[in-house]
Amino acid sequence: MTKRTIYLDYAATTPVDPAVAAAMRECLEPDGNFANPSSSHSAGQRALGRVEEARAQIAARVSAPADTIWFTSGATESDNLAIQGAMLAHRDQGRHLITSRTEHKAVLDTAAAMEKQGFEVTYLVCDSDGLIAPEQVAAAIKDDTTLVSIMHVNNETGVVQDITAIGECCRSRAVLLHVDAAQSIGKVPVPLDQWAADLVALTAHKVYGPKGIGALYVRPGTKLAPLMYGGAQERGVRPGTLATHQIVGMGQAYELADTDREAPVLAAMRDRLWAGLSAIDGVRLNGHPTQRSPHVLNLVFPGVDGESLRLGIAEIAVSAGAACNATAPEASHVLSALGLSDTLAGSSQRFSVGRFTEPAEIDYTIERVTAEVARLRELAGGAPAWCTN
Amino acid sequence: MGYSLEVQQRFHSPQRVGEFAAGTPGLVTGEAEDRTLNVWVRVQVQVVGTVIRSVRYRVFGCPHMLAAAGWVAEALQGRESHTMRELDVHEMREILDAPVEKLGKLLVLEDALQACWQAHFVSAQAQKGS
Repeated sequence: MTKRTIYLDYAATTPVDPAVAAAMRECLEPDGNFANPSSSHSAGQRALGRVEEARAQIAARVSAPADTIWFTSGATESDNLAIQGAMLAHRDQGRHLITSRTEHKAVLDTAAAMEKQGFEVTYLVCDSDGLIAPEQVAAAIKDDTTLVSIMHVNNETGVVQDITAIGECCRSRAVLLHVDAAQSIGKVPVPLDQWAADLVALTAHKVYGPKGIGALYVRPGTKLAPLMYGGAQERGVRPGTLATHQIVGMGQAYELADTDREAPVLAAMRDRLWAGLSAIDGVRLNGHPTQRSPHVLNLVFPGVDGESLRLGIAEIAVSAGAACNATAPEASHVLSALGLSDTLAGSSQRFSVGRFTEPAEIDYTIERVTAEVARLRELAGGAPAWCTN
Repeated sequence: MGYSLEVQQRFHSPQRVGEFAAGTPGLVTGEAEDRTLNVWVRVQVQVVGTVIRSVRYRVFGCPHMLAAAGWVAEALQGRESHTMRELDVHEMREILDAPVEKLGKLLVLEDALQACWQAHFVSAQAQKGS
């Protein structure tokens, strides 16, 4: 990345914090804690100590006991293990899964795979702000419902679901709750001691940790069928040599991710960006105006093709609100669920701020986006109404 | 997505954008769209005699579509009027180095030019009849 690139795509991934990288490096080199944590010799036991230290750091960040944190390769694997593992382990008691239309593909594609295996899936539809009402969850629960899977912070809009209330619905009906909290850490509190959640997917790379490492919180007593075989690590449910450096990196990242300290700073950056961009004619916010994470701002610029806007501001790294591909402007399933037309979904952009975002970068982005939106609208002067609604 | 230098140049520095003044002689207009692909384009061609004197356009769409509209406007200028109906979309795609998946969008431009040709043909026939 050149120095001139302004990175506003922290919801996609984050750079590794230098303190995290330093901790990881210590577990990679010959005089460091590189040994296999499952080895009984002293070097292995020292590595195991680092793994358990990291497990405790992660658990502390989410107010959970350390032994409830099981390491995986990332949130996608955690989602898969939670959904497939729980549904398969309880298949004799119930074969019904509830989730929502605005989940990450890691959940939706897993749910679709479960349907192919003969499980029944109910997809809840959010309101125009992106919220799922707890009453919707309660109404969808049936006698054979095994699991409800609802994400905490939406990765596209930043909308925050009321997991406390949804958890109470599930707990009162003896149904398991899985929460994808990949976007939450460091931005929104994840108080697992207050949530009635049984399974929670976590990741490192959204919070200045390395890619390729995540964790699944598993409430004690929750039965999961393993998806892989080959060792006793992580209670035999997730076998494989523990990646000490990755785990230590995740632990350090979670140690640094102080929501109370960082969230107000992120919110100030996001609000500064919104204050500037809201002056653009017709621009609208996608998602709930207040029940949202401080790091995401998803906006629709009517009359502006999203791909063209991104090329026009190529020195600023942002993502599509829509999951574009080159074949067709495939609308974002999240924005479609909020009721946006395919055109408006394609005219949406997700800006996401992070730990290293500077106010000057926000001001430059406001200036460039404003100018580029005006230029592209001028190019499309006289376009029919469907291009803007 | 990566973009060729041709696309980037035409995207960032578009030429011939706009409309001709009302009453410009020899003017024909063609418009086409594909809502499923989020593409709209309007092309204005000024024909003097049998030669295309100048072209203007407006376009809503992706960078390839914007670049393609500019490329067509430049390519048509000074050519015989019948070239409006002879746009080789595949050649244009190769020049722009656009992915094959963009072909559907580029064909919308062909539709707009066909509409221009139709308008020109009708106008020419009317002039012959008068």
